[in-house]
Amino acid sequence: MSLIEVEHLKYRYPATEKLALNDISLTAEAGELIGIVGKNTAGKTTFCQALVGLVPHFYKGAYGGSVRIGGMDVKESGVDETIRKVGIVFQNPFTQVTGSKLTVYEEIAFGLEHLGIARQDMMERIDHALHLLDIEAYKDRAPFDLSGGQMQRMAIASVIAMRPQVIVLDEPTSQLDPQGSEEVFRAIQSLSREGITVILAEHKMEKLAAYADRIALLHEGMLIDYDTPSRVFSRSDLAEYGVEAPIYTRVCQAIGFRMLDMDTYPVTLEEAQAAYEAQHSAISASSQEEQGGRYD
Amino acid sequence: MKSMSLYVERESTVHHIDPITKLVYIAAAIALPIILPSLHTAWICMLISFVILGMGRVLTRSLPIIGFVGFILLTVVIIQGFFHVGNETVLFRLGSWPFYEEGLLFAMGITFRALNIVGAFLILVLTTKPSDLVESLVRKGLSPRIGYVLSSVFQIIPQMMATVDTITDAQRSRGMETEGKLMTRIKAFLPLIGPVVLSSLIDTKERTLALQVRGFNVKGSKTFLNEEKMYRYGSAMRWSMLAIVIGAVIWRVIA
Amino acid sequence: MIKIQDVCFGYNEGQDVLQGLTLEFDQRTTAIIGQNGAGKTTLVKLLKGLLKPTGGDIWVAGVNSKDVTVAQLAGKIGLVFQNPNDQIFKRTVLEEVMFGPLNMKVETAAAKQQALQALEMVGLADQTDVNPHDLGLSEKKLISIASIVAMNTDIIILDEPTIAQDAAGKRRIAQIIEQLSQEGKLVMTILHDMDFVAAHFERTIVMNRGKVVLDDKTREVFSHQDLLREACLDTPYVTQLGKQWGLPETVLTTEELISAMKRPR
Repeated sequence: MSLIEVEHLKYRYPATEKLALNDISLTAEAGELIGIVGKNTAGKTTFCQALVGLVPHFYKGAYGGSVRIGGMDVKESGVDETIRKVGIVFQNPFTQVTGSKLTVYEEIAFGLEHLGIARQDMMERIDHALHLLDIEAYKDRAPFDLSGGQMQRMAIASVIAMRPQVIVLDEPTSQLDPQGSEEVFRAIQSLSREGITVILAEHKMEKLAAYADRIALLHEGMLIDYDTPSRVFSRSDLAEYGVEAPIYTRVCQAIGFRMLDMDTYPVTLEEAQAAYEAQHSAISASSQEEQGGRYD
Repeated sequence: MKSMSLYVERESTVHHIDPITKLVYIAAAIALPIILPSLHTAWICMLISFVILGMGRVLTRSLPIIGFVGFILLTVVIIQGFFHVGNETVLFRLGSWPFYEEGLLFAMGITFRALNIVGAFLILVLTTKPSDLVESLVRKGLSPRIGYVLSSVFQIIPQMMATVDTITDAQRSRGMETEGKLMTRIKAFLPLIGPVVLSSLIDTKERTLALQVRGFNVKGSKTFLNEEKMYRYGSAMRWSMLAIVIGAVIWRVIA
Repeated sequence: MIKIQDVCFGYNEGQDVLQGLTLEFDQRTTAIIGQNGAGKTTLVKLLKGLLKPTGGDIWVAGVNSKDVTVAQLAGKIGLVFQNPNDQIFKRTVLEEVMFGPLNMKVETAAAKQQALQALEMVGLADQTDVNPHDLGLSEKKLISIASIVAMNTDIIILDEPTIAQDAAGKRRIAQIIEQLSQEGKLVMTILHDMDFVAAHFERTIVMNRGKVVLDDKTREVFSHQDLLREACLDTPYVTQLGKQWGLPETVLTTEELISAMKRPR
């Protein structure tokens, strides 16, 4: 059994006619980092919120199929049960600050207090989360005084402290500057190393290509593809879905640099470099042969 | 950070007393002068409140507020001194206007009682973190939702003020005159309301989602990160205040 | 079109965010880059007149920003805010875009004409009667761009135009920038998206700790990898790839890189 099992998930927001999610089925294993890509109206946010049960419980609307996390059915269990297994972090770091706590440390405690975690346990979890997100230095600062990147890491820490098996991040860096994004991406990597299953919706393809185990490509609420970054980003019809492959892939595709012994194109700087070297040694090898022939 | 709290961080015994005891003190300070309506109870209670403010090392911080209230009360003294209904004994004359003792005493009673109440509230406000107060109330059974609203107001309102500034800038940027005469400013204020309300509504929706996934609606008992602030003599103080109030009632009935 | 001379500014006394800036802006499309806290936003607010310099002078189209109110300066310089929700407040898209021109005392008919042209440019001409708040964030951003374009200022500043935009949205914004520039306007931006800067802006100004550390043609700026790193900035992905592949020149777009690689060597 997989940790996340989505089966024929369909969903329509109230007072709309179009399906926001149209028959999505996929599974993800514990410890995987799954990237979700698609243009702005593809259904990324809706899918993310369906994993925690905000769809359909918060919005209502029509729902079909099922989402199971560790065997638990999200629709039947409701948000309050689901959040013990799945945490979610939203785009805007500001609106995730509760506003009722005076320090970062207390802010992270908010969820734990509501879950009724014992005090000693609570403090251990907060310390661990602070460490994991590398924000120990700010633990006594006021939440609203942090920079965007710090605030977003605090939001992630607040969710991580609740010890979910899965963390869903819905475009967590779209409102941050590169430095802040970099901080958050580094934090996401350390979560992944800890064995936490990460679902990450993102526009920054270069980052996703480097970190994700698999990519889900959404379009108009449908799952178009669900495969490794190399395969998804090497698709020739990517533009039809409003998605641009990483720059490395686009350039290599145009000049015909393939991955060694594969039919896919490089998706990271390192792969692009490897493909270049392979190409180069092939060219110099063949020209050496030619030269050798002449001297013979 | 911009915060609306008046809390003054100091090291004093008064700061260590738990918020509930301070609330009980406010109740007692209001009740006593009503139960025993003599002028003496009024000024003694007022003096006690001021002494506690002094012990909490926040007396200087409370002077502007006490001064402001006192200034308003001074007008009461003047009016009552000249025009109180029961005026008989003339104290002195201002020109041809007689100033009476009865009016003065009556106004003094009001003044002492009012300053006493202001002082008692200041003890709570100046020496207690708002979050501590809310947390104690939640522990005593206040709904955590109301508790959340009370404590978030202190930080969310300054955030909203910042939004107002940004929106004002956006409108000035599109040629709307917001500087200068009062009328211009009032005219500029109206179109502000729409976006401010809207952006806070959007924020509210997003914050509701964020709170929900942090377990805000989870049923069952809550725990607290901070240990309950228990002052060693807190309950003794609360009981003795209750005893004093009951004593006062008995005194009032028999005497 | 803009001249700033020895400009200093600080929010608190004794802590200057900007320290003696002297710059001149001409019609080239210009990007201002730098990490958060470098002083970019402060500079833009000063140009727009929302802040007044504590030292030095700023002339926008010949007018000293100290002598006029923000509203009076609005006809000369337009600023599109980062978050469109801070800016949009009318019931329909058309009214929203007409708001600026009407404030400039343009006749209603002419204002409508300007608004429609601006909406045409951003590709929302068929949405005039829609309530802006029924649209998505990327469309709202386009509306807020249109409402500045409609004011027909010679200078337009865009604050982080590519935030929350997908590939199609970015392409559209690139087109708008190009068209405005062709009309002879000065288009400026504060931007964190280095590949977008490289592909669409002629001049790049790098700020670090309240000072200008680089100010040159974009290609020149992105060839100074060391100086950029000091300002905590990266070169565009495409430039990095070109360097990695040992190209002698600094490439700024994927097209340049592709044709450089196809070139026989």
